[in-house]
Amino acid sequence: MKFSSILRYAFLGIFNAGSVYLIPLIITFESWFLLSVLIFIMFLINFTYLTDKFAALKWITPGVIFMFSFVVFPAAYNTYVSFTNWSTGHILTKTQAIDLLEARTYTPEDQRGVEFDIYIFEDDNQEYYFGADLNENEFLFGKAVSQDLIKEATFARHEPSLKNSSGEIVPPEGFKLLLGKDQINLANKLQELSLVIDTSTRAQLYKISVFGSSTGRLLSTSQRYSYDSDNDILYDNSTNATCSSDGDNFLCNGESVDPGWRVFVGSENYKKLFSNQRIRGPLELVTKWTFQFATLTVFLAFSVGLLLSITLNKEKLKFKRLYRALYILPYAIPAFVSVLVWKGLLNPDYGVINTWLDPFYTFFDIEPIKWLKTKESARAAVLLVNTWLGFPYMFLITTGALQSIPKELTEAAKVDGATGVQSFWRITFPLLMVSISPLLIGSFAFNFNNFTLIFLLSGGGPPVIGSEVAVGWTDILISFSYRLAISGGRGNLFGLASSVTIIIFGIVLLISALSFRYTKRLERIYGNI
Amino acid sequence: METFNFLKWFKEYGWRHLVGITFVLFAIYPILFVVTNSFADFANLANSKLIPDGFTLKHYKKLSGDPLVPYFTWLFNTYKVAIIASLFNVFLGTLAAYAFSRLQFKGRRASLLTLVIVQMFPAFLAFVAIYLLFFQISDILPFMGLGTHLGLILVYLGGSIGFNSWLIKGFMDTISPSLDEAAKVDGANDFQIFTKIIAPLARPILVVIFVITFIGIYSDYILAAIFLKDKNLWTVAVGINTVFVDDFNADWGVIAASSVLAAAPIATLFVFFQKQITGGLTAGSVKG
Repeated sequence: MKFSSILRYAFLGIFNAGSVYLIPLIITFESWFLLSVLIFIMFLINFTYLTDKFAALKWITPGVIFMFSFVVFPAAYNTYVSFTNWSTGHILTKTQAIDLLEARTYTPEDQRGVEFDIYIFEDDNQEYYFGADLNENEFLFGKAVSQDLIKEATFARHEPSLKNSSGEIVPPEGFKLLLGKDQINLANKLQELSLVIDTSTRAQLYKISVFGSSTGRLLSTSQRYSYDSDNDILYDNSTNATCSSDGDNFLCNGESVDPGWRVFVGSENYKKLFSNQRIRGPLELVTKWTFQFATLTVFLAFSVGLLLSITLNKEKLKFKRLYRALYILPYAIPAFVSVLVWKGLLNPDYGVINTWLDPFYTFFDIEPIKWLKTKESARAAVLLVNTWLGFPYMFLITTGALQSIPKELTEAAKVDGATGVQSFWRITFPLLMVSISPLLIGSFAFNFNNFTLIFLLSGGGPPVIGSEVAVGWTDILISFSYRLAISGGRGNLFGLASSVTIIIFGIVLLISALSFRYTKRLERIYGNI
Repeated sequence: METFNFLKWFKEYGWRHLVGITFVLFAIYPILFVVTNSFADFANLANSKLIPDGFTLKHYKKLSGDPLVPYFTWLFNTYKVAIIASLFNVFLGTLAAYAFSRLQFKGRRASLLTLVIVQMFPAFLAFVAIYLLFFQISDILPFMGLGTHLGLILVYLGGSIGFNSWLIKGFMDTISPSLDEAAKVDGANDFQIFTKIIAPLARPILVVIFVITFIGIYSDYILAAIFLKDKNLWTVAVGINTVFVDDFNADWGVIAASSVLAAAPIATLFVFFQKQITGGLTAGSVKG
C-alpha cells in the first residue's frame, strides 16, 4: 500500500471514530441542526476521500469546512440574530422557557407552618445534611440541597439511630453536629437549602436557636405554572390567573413573566436603530465619530509617515538605515501591549505626559488635562496613540512608493525651472497617491473596526451622560456593538448588537466596492485567476 | 579644499536629521520607558523616570509568584492557542492553495472569488453570532464550547484560511509548472508532486504566513475576551488588560514587566521577518 493511502485511511478512521462518538452526545440534546451538520460533514469527507471523482475536493474540503463553519455560517447566523429579539430575558426558545416555568414551584398558604426540631450536620467536604425530627416515628435524614438541585435530589430516609433513647442526637460517622452559633454564621447559606422528603414536600431551616434545637418548617410545594399548548395559555396556579402570550413573554394580570423567549421580530431592531430617538441619537454620534476617527487617524499617520519618508529620501544621508530600523519599532509591538503602556504614560495624575506638560500648565495657569476622562482629551489621546501605532506602516509604504518613482521626472521638472516644492506637489505626490491609495483605503477599513485600540485605551469612554444605552465619546461602531452585546452593564442586547454589526458590514462592503472600482483591483485579481 | 558651510549642510542634510531625531524620540520613547521601568527600582508610576536610579528584577519576580495574576499561565495559553491554530491554518491553507494553483476543476474561479470576498470582512464582525453559537454548543459538546481553548482555536482557524490560501496560491503560481509536468511524465501523482516538489519550494512563504498568522492570533483581543471567562485560561492580551485597569500607579512596575515579556518575542519575530511581513501585508493590507 502506498504511503498516501495509509495516510488517507488513518485520517478517515480517526475522523469517523470521532464523529461516531459525537453522534449519541448530540442526539441526547436533541440538537437536530448540529446533527445534520455533522452528518453532512461526515458524508462530504468520506465521499471526498473514498472516491476518486473530484481530485480537487481532496485538497480544498478541509479548509472549506472550517471556513464555512466558523466564518460564513456565523456571518449568516449573525444576520439571523439581527432579526430576533435575542437579549437578556429572551435567551431561551419558547419550549425551553415553558419547561423552566413549569418546573417552578410554590407553597400554597394552607401548607405552610408545620414546625419541628431540625438538626444540621456537616461532613468533611463542608456539605450540609439536615436531620428533621418530625415525630416519634419519623426522624428524616438526608443531604440538604439548593433550590436548583431539588429535582435531582434523593429523598430523605428515616434514620431512627441518630437519636438515642434519652433523646440526644448522635451524628453519624464522619459528620459533626453544627451548634447554634455556627448555624448563625452560616445562616444565609443554610436557609437556601432544603431537605427533599418527596416530590412535593421538603423541609427547610426556619428559625435558628442558639441554645435549644433549631426549628424547621415543612413546605409542601405545588407546580406553579401549567401550560396549555392547544390554546397557548399559561395558568398561574398560585393566583389562578390565566396568562396569554404577547409574542415573547407570558402576561399574567398585565405583568410579564420572566423569562420570555426569543422570536423572529423582523426588522424591529433596525427600526429601533433608525427611529427610536434614545438609540438613534447614540448611533448617530458613534457613526459620525467612527468616520472622523478612521479618516483623521489615516490622515495623521500618513502625514507623519510621508514626512519621514521624504526626509530620509536623500542620497548620502547618514544613519539612514538606523532611522528606518527605529521607525519600524512601534509597528513590531502587539497593539494590546502598546495601548497598555500608553495608558500609563497618559495617566492624568502620575503619567509622564502630564509631568512634561506641567511647566506649561503652570505658565498659562490652566488645569492639567484629565487624559481619557473628558471627551476632547479622550479623542485626542486615541488619535495620538493610533498615530504612533500607524505611522510606521505608512512610512514603509510611502518609502517604497517614493523609491519606485523615476528620478528623471523630478529632474526634468527642475530643468524646466520648477522649485522643489512645486515638483513635489505636481509630480511626486500625485504619482505616489496612485500606488498608495488602495492601501490607504485598506487602512481606513482596518481603523474603522479598530476595536483593540478603542476598547483597551479608553473603553469607548468617557460615557455620554444621560444616554439610554451604554455609549461613550470615543466609541466606534464595533465597540458600541460589543457594549450592547457583552459588556454594557445593561443586559445583553444580542439582537440589537448584531444589527449594528450588519450596518458595519454594509459600510465595509461599500468602501471595498468603491476601492475596487477606484483601483480596478478586481481586474488584477481576475488576471491572477 | 571646500570649507564646511553649516548653512548649506543644514539645508541639505541638517534639517533631515532634526526631523528624523524628533520622530525617533516619538517612536522609541514609550518603548524605552517601559523597558527601563520594568527593571527599575521604584515604588510606583508617580516617581518613575526614563533612567531609573537603581535596577532590580523584582517586578519580574512578582509576576511569577502571584496566584492572582497567573502571568506565565497566560503566556503558555497564548503560545499554545496561537501555535496550534497557525500550524493547522498554514497546513490547510497550503492544501487548498495547491488545488487552486495546480488543478483544473469546475468552479475554481468562482471559489477563488468567494475566498477574496469572504476575506474582505474581518471574522470578528460576527462576534455576536460566534458567542451565541458557542454558548449553545457548550451544552452539547462542552469540550469545544464557550470558555475552551479548542473552541477558540477553531474560530481562529476558520478566520484566516481564506486569506492565507490566497497568498500561498500566489506564491505557488510563481513556481514553474514545467517542474511538476516533468514529474508527471515520470509517473508522479498529485500527492507526490505536492510533497516532493511544491511544498518544499514554497517553504519560505509558508514560514512567513505562519509568522503573520501567529502574530495576528497572539495579538487578538476581542475573540479571546469573548471566549475565555476562566482566569487560568486567559491569553496574555486578555489577562493583562483585565487585571491592570484600576491602579496604574501601584502596579506600574508589574505592568512594565508583563508588557516587555509579552512584546519582546513578537517584536523580535517582526524585526527578523520585517521585509516579508510588510510585503505580505502590503499585498493584502490587513494591518495598519
